[in-house]
Amino acid sequence: MKKIIAISLSLALIVASVTSCENELPTSFNFSSYEFTDLDVDGGSWQPILLSSATDIAVAAPAAVSSAEYLAELSALKSATQSLTGNQADAVEYWTNNPLIRWNEIALELAAKYNLIPPPNPDGTYTLPTAANPQGPPPFPFAHPPYTSRMLAYLSVAQFDGLITAWHYKYEYNRPAPYVTDAGIQYAYKKNTLPSYPSDGAVIAVVSRDVLKAMFPLEHDYLDAKAEEHLSSLVWSGSNTTSDIEAGKTIGTAVKTAALARASTDKMSAAQTPRPVSDAIKQAAFDRFGWSWDNMESPVRPVGLTPLFGQVTMWNVPNVEDVRIAVPPAPGSVQFETDAKELNNFARNVTEGQRKIANWWSDGLGTYTPPGHWNRRTKEYIIKYEMNPLRAARTFAYLNMAVMDAGIACWDSKYYYHYPRPIQTINGFKTILGTPNFPSYPSGHSTFSGAAAEVLAYIFPAEANAVRAWAREAAESRIYGGIHYRFDSESGITQGKEVAAYAITRAQNDGADD
Amino acid sequence: MKKILLLPVFCLGFATITLSQTFSDAIMMNKKEICFAFMYDQGTWDQYWEGATLITNENIGTFTRATYMPMIAYGITGKLNVLLSIPYVSTKSTGGQLAGVQGLQDVNVAVKYEAFKKDFGKHRVSALAVAQFGTPMTNYLSDYMPYSLGLGTQEVTGRVIGQYEFNKKIYVRASAAYVWRGQTEAERPYYYANGSYYTTFMDVPSAVNYQAILGGWALKHNLRLEASYNILNCVDGDDIRRWNMPQPTNKMEVTQAGFFAQYYFKSIEPLKGFSLMASYNQVLEGRNMGKTTGFGGGITYQFTF
Repeated sequence: MKKIIAISLSLALIVASVTSCENELPTSFNFSSYEFTDLDVDGGSWQPILLSSATDIAVAAPAAVSSAEYLAELSALKSATQSLTGNQADAVEYWTNNPLIRWNEIALELAAKYNLIPPPNPDGTYTLPTAANPQGPPPFPFAHPPYTSRMLAYLSVAQFDGLITAWHYKYEYNRPAPYVTDAGIQYAYKKNTLPSYPSDGAVIAVVSRDVLKAMFPLEHDYLDAKAEEHLSSLVWSGSNTTSDIEAGKTIGTAVKTAALARASTDKMSAAQTPRPVSDAIKQAAFDRFGWSWDNMESPVRPVGLTPLFGQVTMWNVPNVEDVRIAVPPAPGSVQFETDAKELNNFARNVTEGQRKIANWWSDGLGTYTPPGHWNRRTKEYIIKYEMNPLRAARTFAYLNMAVMDAGIACWDSKYYYHYPRPIQTINGFKTILGTPNFPSYPSGHSTFSGAAAEVLAYIFPAEANAVRAWAREAAESRIYGGIHYRFDSESGITQGKEVAAYAITRAQNDGADD
Repeated sequence: MKKILLLPVFCLGFATITLSQTFSDAIMMNKKEICFAFMYDQGTWDQYWEGATLITNENIGTFTRATYMPMIAYGITGKLNVLLSIPYVSTKSTGGQLAGVQGLQDVNVAVKYEAFKKDFGKHRVSALAVAQFGTPMTNYLSDYMPYSLGLGTQEVTGRVIGQYEFNKKIYVRASAAYVWRGQTEAERPYYYANGSYYTTFMDVPSAVNYQAILGGWALKHNLRLEASYNILNCVDGDDIRRWNMPQPTNKMEVTQAGFFAQYYFKSIEPLKGFSLMASYNQVLEGRNMGKTTGFGGGITYQFTF
């Protein structure tokens, strides 16, 4: 009997020790309402991306703070902020005073959810996702890196233009925050002097919901519920009255219309080509260079990923051929053999540290992709540097325009050069990462990362060394993983930097640096 | 000297879930008896369950997991035994380009206590309890399924066993266990498991295990034969998504049937103390698991200090 007790006790101890080292697993970035370093009072004069200026969208003057109408709104707000339920208080805590962060996380989560490659049919053919039949199977979209880069660009640009507009009218009409006019109203976040009309939160909620609904047609219910909670949290937190919110919604709706109008004509719908077009692109590369890339999967995928993504309308680069990279070393050439030998060495003796870098940046199928990874890092900097929502939107907008342009430039070069992957050129080669369904040169990770790091170095100069080191690590990771040659990664970084320069030049002239 | 029974590990699907029979049988060694064993098991599959759907994937082809497992069992007393196993695992597949891996997996230590034993004429009833602890021996990457060596987490198993033996010839045995599992650390800072996780850590689902065994002795008690039926189900977790890689957070479920034979050389003088084992098992039903067919063999040597 003593032994039974001893055994049970030691068992209980072991269970306790195992469970005590368990970490609480974060499903979103852990931060609270914070004080903005600057309110960017002149933000309404910044140059927007889609609109010609903040005044493109008309917003009527609000009722006077002394009007009966507004006093009734304040009274309703006051009662709504008293005695919140647990869920309401949680929503206030979750959305914070920079809800842009949460919508970026929602976008990343949907990217990860939909980043699934279409499976083969039983007869060995593949059915591709189509917006015309989003249910599928396979479901639409396949949120691969080009798709995700574009989704994030439209989301961020629309948020940015919406907030420039909101800022313009905030300082034109100067309606004080509700708690300023009525000291009885509880405000949940850090106080500042930002005028409350129109509600910046409502702009973000509507624009984000509607752009994401267009990008993820199967997620309407989910996104409606998120936006509903977000809009309600503006009331529960004491941030905005009804008229603040309605004016914000007006801006949000107008901006999303402009964003989706551009999206509908940016040629993305033609990026995934039919087989004959894909074959012609491949033949052209073979005629030009004497090599071409083959998909190595079983069954073979007849068309690579988005062969004409390189022709999608760019944000800041006038002509994609301006940033096309130089011809890669031919298979069998001395430089090719040097880089292939390096890959063989890593395949035989990858260190734990190199393996970790390969996996850290893998961002492959089922994840938020490299554009998502850079958005996540950007989000952390936005909080670290306590940016207000407008400044945060500008950061995401320039980041994601540069990242999408980098993707377009990269894809143009990928299909122009149609360079085979290491598993195709090196006999019996095995990898620790899955090889993607598109040509090798240059590395998409490297191009995305090269561009992202330059934009972040411009916006966060104190972090320039860190972000550039990350980009180099991301580029290197593909070599450790066995899916890119060193010349793929180096050219990708170079191309990414070149593409980012266009975005940075535009940013330097949008009025925000003045 | 009592005969110790050792069964090879069952390799179940994507990550090895070692169900070494020694940890769940009703055999106790006498005080100061020690048994060394070496077992080999090879599990192969060319179909797996993606969630509840059985699929083939030519980019994996035929998957093979080989497990080499040295093991020691020792009788502290006739009612309290300790066991230790150190498996070495190697994985590979015939399709696709992903590299297989090999290396030491998880060390497992168990104490087994015979709480009750009573004879009714020629019949015998016994009840036992086993506490087992397993932990990775190396920094292998669990988030590389199906190739990963194991689940990369600490495990604590609590098991109860009951056996009824008729005429010392035929026996039935049942056991039930709960396997507490901790977390494993991946090498990516984000993953999706029915939602976003901004961490390298993954919760590995705990599991329940049930076993039913029908066994018997033949050839003057030199040959033991058993048929087994085994269920191991995670209590939570997510499904592998369509045409996506499995991951340690998956809800793995498996139902498996097996046969086992062990021959003791107790009456052949130079080989006294040795036994040979052979096993076959087949996964019948599963979820987020390979439909594995396993063969195994092994040798044991048992003596008293």
